[in-house]
Amino acid sequence: MATITTSGLTKSFGPVTAVSNLTVELPSGVVGLVGANGAGKSTLIKMLLGLLSPTSGGATILGFDCLTDGLKIREVVGYMPESECLPLDISATEFLVHMARMSGLPADSARERAADTLRHVGLYEERYRPIGGYSTGMKQRVKLAQALVHDPKLVFLDEPTNGLDPAGRDDMLGLISRVSSDFGISVVVTSHLLGELERISDHIVVIDGGVLQRSTSTADATQFAGSLLVEVTDRADAVIAKLREGGASVAEGRNQGSFAVELTDDDVTGTVVAAVAELGVGLVRLQRKRHQLSEIFATNDSPVEVAS
Amino acid sequence: MSTIELHGVSRWFGNVVAVNDVTMSIGPGVTGLLGPNGAGKSTLLSMMGGFLPPSSGTVTIDGVPVWRNPELYSGIGLVPETEAMFDAMTAYEFVLANARLHRVDDPASATVAALEQVELIEARDRKVGTFSKGMKQRVKMATALVHKPKVLLLDEPFNGMDPRQRLHLLELLQRLGDEGHTVLFSSHILEEVEDVAGTIEVIVAGRQAASGDFRSIRRLMTERPHQYTVTSSDNRALAAAIIADGSADAVNLTSDVLSIQASDFGRFVHALPRIARDAGIALHDVTPADESLESVFAYLVAR
Amino acid sequence: MTSQESAVTPDGVATDSVIHDIGFRHYDGPRLGRGWAFRSLFYETLRGSFGLGRPAKVKIMPWVLIVLFALPSLVMVAITILTASEELPLSYTMYPVAISLVVSLFIAGRAPYAVSRDLRDGIMPLYLSRPIRRQDYVYAKLLGLSAAVWIFVATPVTILFIGALLAKFSVKDAIFGWLGGLLMAAVLSILLTSISLVLASFTKRKGLGVAAVLSTLILLNGFVAVLVSVVDMQSSETAASYFAVLDPYMLVDGLGAAWLGVDTTFLYSQPDGALGAVYYSAVLLVVVTGCVAILLRRFKKVGGV
Repeated sequence: MATITTSGLTKSFGPVTAVSNLTVELPSGVVGLVGANGAGKSTLIKMLLGLLSPTSGGATILGFDCLTDGLKIREVVGYMPESECLPLDISATEFLVHMARMSGLPADSARERAADTLRHVGLYEERYRPIGGYSTGMKQRVKLAQALVHDPKLVFLDEPTNGLDPAGRDDMLGLISRVSSDFGISVVVTSHLLGELERISDHIVVIDGGVLQRSTSTADATQFAGSLLVEVTDRADAVIAKLREGGASVAEGRNQGSFAVELTDDDVTGTVVAAVAELGVGLVRLQRKRHQLSEIFATNDSPVEVAS
Repeated sequence: MSTIELHGVSRWFGNVVAVNDVTMSIGPGVTGLLGPNGAGKSTLLSMMGGFLPPSSGTVTIDGVPVWRNPELYSGIGLVPETEAMFDAMTAYEFVLANARLHRVDDPASATVAALEQVELIEARDRKVGTFSKGMKQRVKMATALVHKPKVLLLDEPFNGMDPRQRLHLLELLQRLGDEGHTVLFSSHILEEVEDVAGTIEVIVAGRQAASGDFRSIRRLMTERPHQYTVTSSDNRALAAAIIADGSADAVNLTSDVLSIQASDFGRFVHALPRIARDAGIALHDVTPADESLESVFAYLVAR
Repeated sequence: MTSQESAVTPDGVATDSVIHDIGFRHYDGPRLGRGWAFRSLFYETLRGSFGLGRPAKVKIMPWVLIVLFALPSLVMVAITILTASEELPLSYTMYPVAISLVVSLFIAGRAPYAVSRDLRDGIMPLYLSRPIRRQDYVYAKLLGLSAAVWIFVATPVTILFIGALLAKFSVKDAIFGWLGGLLMAAVLSILLTSISLVLASFTKRKGLGVAAVLSTLILLNGFVAVLVSVVDMQSSETAASYFAVLDPYMLVDGLGAAWLGVDTTFLYSQPDGALGAVYYSAVLLVVVTGCVAILLRRFKKVGGV
């Protein structure tokens, strides 16, 4: 069930093409958007919100036409910008009520939903103090709250973990997952950090230089590859030798003590465990290797066809 | 080969202690300087680069103090965090100017070599003002490399880079490290560090929290039981066998996964394959759940 | 949310206890769209101009100025009644342009709050991602601030009206005079707001905005005052009246004379017959529409999504 569909979407500013012939379908759930830096990403979002007309091509979002239904779209979509955008001299509560009203909510609903949304993003007594005194993590939460307060069907989150330390990042990622799974709101999130996207996205779209590079479900992009990662405490060379004697194909790893065994039809796992037990060595890791999103970037020099 | 050595280094600004009694040794290869925002990483880099003197302690490169030592500066390249650049100059002009400032022999060919190293040679005659953030970062790198320093210090070099740019920079740093340069870069984004830094130095609120390979650091944390997730052909039987064996503190059986807590890391990892083999249970997956850089870092920050 | 009167726990025991679901609630109510959003921004600007909904220290300046501006009118009313005078010392239309400095102070303080603050905070992407159009932001700010200035100016004008009634002046004259005063107050508000918002929209710093607006209004006042007397000396009073339009207060003063036939406050702001009236009205139209056009252009460029 697609939330956003683009077909041949193109936007040029004179000689510069920010978005080039983009044809892609984004499903519901959490969609990660990578690679589009600067002009391409913000241009795409503006077009999807109905704020900018494309040079050619079109797009629909939640069934609405981006060219003609801009106002309707902006009633049911939320946006969390990357940039600083919060007024510093009023409280989170005041700010959120105002934003809720600006999204079309009547006064009473605006007040109630503002209070509720602040609770959902984890802001408690802080909400009565001016935003200027908040930490980066709290400010990001307020930014997220204004995108959710009017119960949108879909939210755009632009680099939501920017400036957060690892603990804050963790919290924000958990919150984003909840937005999709518990609140039932579709999410399009942009990030530079592939590990984050692998963690929370159901689907990944890679855009580079305005051109679509890949559109794939995270599951497909992180499928099992054909080898077994093994890590032992010591005497890795002895274990490797033993496995090779048995006919296994083994590649040494970057770190001492780790190696990869090619998975064949035989019970490779069993063979490895047996070898390790026999040699009296400790087994630190035994894992089926998975593909990673970073592989898309390592080999990519030209656009690849859409997968999935 | 160059080694940066810090002995009991502290740096304060009035009552603010940015760096508090740090002793470390950075040798050839790539080292990651990690810490939360405001932990003192930039201050440390500035002292290593000779921009700041330590308030106490010594900062030396190959035994020679860095502060007020211009002969040493030609051996150090610093890539700062700030973005200010001369937008009207072309990439070539900018790097050439730096080459001349460093009194490099044959600045023109050194400039070309540096630009090639950062893969900016095609864009050499474009104005820096037209560059993307990632390209500006690479220009900064070129200026830091043009005088072929042995030591390279980078402050948050991956800031704002998209994955492709980051990959290129990682490869460059790895190459430099393999060639014997001493490369130290700071970051508060762990994902960026994991791939390239063999050794890490962790700074928390000015104090040095840990140093070394992060997996080894994890093993040293004996007060925290290791977390493991295991799947096998018969989880219940395996759980019983592990408990009977006594090598784990706690075993948690959820729908299809065993979560195991073991204080004695060594004993558990040696026991597990043996137990499985003896009980005739096939192990499918054995994964250390808290050995990631992220977990190690979280533990260090929380001390 | 109805809670059950008696629930049953998993092991079959009936109980009066209940756990309420306080998870995320979806919203199925009305979404009032563009018109409501516009009104909300209008009210927010209006309230913000008087410091409502903001911390206490922000309220000080505007309220001090209101009192300062209204005080003379109270004094005038008292004097009129006590001396049994036949008319008010300053008419309903004369008062705002005579005590123009306080009006300038008020709007110089409020215009940056309406606009510079938004630019500095970078809030435009949040507004633009909502169901309004770009021009709605400009119009809501214009109307909001104009309404605030109008309230500010109308206060002493209304005090004079009440005073006139208390002094038992002709009720019909008083009502027409008051309404005329309110009309010219509205014209003055819109004119000053247009000019001030344009000036304030070019800076993110409130202090700079305040200085820009205040110095522009005061300098214009002083400069034009000299200009018109020079023109009068070189040419005539009539010629001078054509130059008086350069000062917003003189312009409104002249418009009052042209449209309502009241006396002007200043010597040189008397429009010259029908031609002069058309000229004064045209200047008003050109200035206001020009400023609105500049504002629309300004917010097309700045801080989009």
